[in-house]
Amino acid sequence: MRFWDILLMSLSSLWKRRIRTILTVLGVVIGTASIVVMISLGLGLKRASLEEMEKYGSLKSIIVSEKDSYESDEEEGGRANKQTLVHLDDSVLESLRGIEHVEYVYPELEAEVMLLAGGYTCYTSVRGVPTKDMELIGLELAQGGLPEPGDTQLKFVYGNSVIGEFYNEKTGHGYWFDGTMAPVDLMNDPMICIFDAEKYYNFIWGNADESGNVAMPKKYMINAAGVMAGKVEDYNSNSNLIYCDLDLLKALLKKEFRGKAIPGQPTTISGKPTKEIYYTNLVVGVDDMKNVQNVQAQISQLGYSAESNAEWVESMQGQSNYIQLALGGIGAISLLVAAIGIANTMMMSIYERTKEIGIMKVLGCDMRNIQGMFLMEAGHIGLLGGLIGVALSYGLSFAINHFLGVSQMGIDLEGASSISYIPFWLSALSVAFSVAVGMAAGFFPSLRAMRLSPLAAIRNE
Amino acid sequence: MATTPVISVRDLYKIYRVGDSRVRALDGVGFDVQKGEFCSIVGTSGSGKSTLLNMLAGLEKPTKGKIVIAGEHMEKKNENQLVAFRRKHIGFIFQSFNLMPSMNALENVALPLTFQGVSRKKRLEMAREVLTLVGLEHHMNHKPTQMSGGQQQRVGIARALVVQPEIIFADEPTGNLDSRTSAEVMELIRRIINEQNQTLVMVTHDDHLAGFADRIFRISDGRIVDIRVTGNAKKDLTRKQH
Repeated sequence: MRFWDILLMSLSSLWKRRIRTILTVLGVVIGTASIVVMISLGLGLKRASLEEMEKYGSLKSIIVSEKDSYESDEEEGGRANKQTLVHLDDSVLESLRGIEHVEYVYPELEAEVMLLAGGYTCYTSVRGVPTKDMELIGLELAQGGLPEPGDTQLKFVYGNSVIGEFYNEKTGHGYWFDGTMAPVDLMNDPMICIFDAEKYYNFIWGNADESGNVAMPKKYMINAAGVMAGKVEDYNSNSNLIYCDLDLLKALLKKEFRGKAIPGQPTTISGKPTKEIYYTNLVVGVDDMKNVQNVQAQISQLGYSAESNAEWVESMQGQSNYIQLALGGIGAISLLVAAIGIANTMMMSIYERTKEIGIMKVLGCDMRNIQGMFLMEAGHIGLLGGLIGVALSYGLSFAINHFLGVSQMGIDLEGASSISYIPFWLSALSVAFSVAVGMAAGFFPSLRAMRLSPLAAIRNE
Repeated sequence: MATTPVISVRDLYKIYRVGDSRVRALDGVGFDVQKGEFCSIVGTSGSGKSTLLNMLAGLEKPTKGKIVIAGEHMEKKNENQLVAFRRKHIGFIFQSFNLMPSMNALENVALPLTFQGVSRKKRLEMAREVLTLVGLEHHMNHKPTQMSGGQQQRVGIARALVVQPEIIFADEPTGNLDSRTSAEVMELIRRIINEQNQTLVMVTHDDHLAGFADRIFRISDGRIVDIRVTGNAKKDLTRKQH
């Protein structure tokens, strides 16, 4: 028998008993939809938690810093080793770049800074990154742009939460205290910056410094390059920072703190500044999330402190896989019920068609073709149910995201992704799965049909 | 003329076990049927005639004995091979017509060709030809429920003929028809046998209908008790008897 003829015969017999077919298909629709929606909730959860984690820094990057001195004391057994501690410089950067799976390495240099603007003050950190590497941070800007490669003036890129750090010099109140935002336009107002805060307070309080002078530290007028996108409350790992070009920052710090230890920089035992300015951190970008832990371990072995979100991500993912499995299992129960429905329908159909099957056998229809016909019928019920079920799932998923998402979760999930998320592979897989379930449910009935005696046909009623 | 017979049956036994006793449905039957011959098997209910037909068509397994049809041993075949054999070599006419209710006359006749894997265009063409032969050229698109019993059986005959089988088996082909229609159907069968040189074995309990055949086997208690050659028989077939 030709495949096409078997197909047509199975379709026509489904059509002949269309009410029953529709009811059976309905069972599969509900089964498929419940599996897909359940798994989509699990996937949505997983994606949302990944996005949430991403706010705490890229999931593919490792932050390398110097080992704390007490750590090295313990591990290497003596203060003497403190001198041999390796500081982060360009040679370290190059050596990290050589590790397998590392895509990029860029340095960070952090310094404290005071900002003064029209009676408002802000005390925050400025982080210098080479201008050429600034794209790698993945900053989203609301205004302006990143510093340009040819810049000769230091320019700031403000984090979206920085504005909240300003407080009124007279009252001492700021946004976090009473909710009134400082009337500072970061992008356009001239910003007075003081790097040597100690000197500034000494001046304010009238204390003389080591050399007996009471002097105002140098004030720098620094223009903004850009401001990051987001509300003042939207936290991420960059929102409290100011980014700028590393080399210009380094030059400025060298000039400002001539002969003095720069806060945050290593010093010699006697408290004198080291000759060079070292990097605060090195950021190592890894090609894939699954290689992060491996690379991190290698960096740790080199004697640096390496931090990443890999372990956290792994445990979170394990947890959400578990949730997903549980949700999928709940959905699978209804598909199991639907499979029993298919088996029942097929059995009924075979009882009704005993005579028909017998006639076909007497007329010489191959047994395997008879089985094929019934398997195809069951498979079609699965296919139809699967397709409609997936379509229904998309509808349900949309409804969940649209109505539940906004009203129940409110601003928490606004901007973040949806609660329910159906990737293409899930819909394709579940259609294939429901066809497989249908055929599995139809297998024993089809075997029975194949083995029916042809004598039943010529028995005269 | 020493042609090999289309059907050759030797020492055929069929024993059913009913409780503790054994019932001999067939008790040592043997005969030959030649090509182009029309044979009737006549007997009362329970004489074993239907059992014999079922075994000839490979629907039942004999307990003992040999059945050779078109040179092949039926008793040695498994179910799959029997189905394949029927598909290629055997046509079957049923008492209750057994047409597919959802198909029209044309599709019903084409059905056995579908099992053979003949293309739709070709098989409908062949079915149309055979339906014309049985005089149903104006009823091709009728469903079985839209036809009389006689018309339905003509469709049944056409369905048996369409595969151009070596042999056709008919099980009480007029059992569900009134006497006038029965006679018409029998005349049709007779005419086609003569025209197409087909071989046909018919089972009936009606002596009058059996009279349409070339040869009549009378069966009683599982044995052939009488073989009679009728006046219909062609000369060359009368010679060979068992």
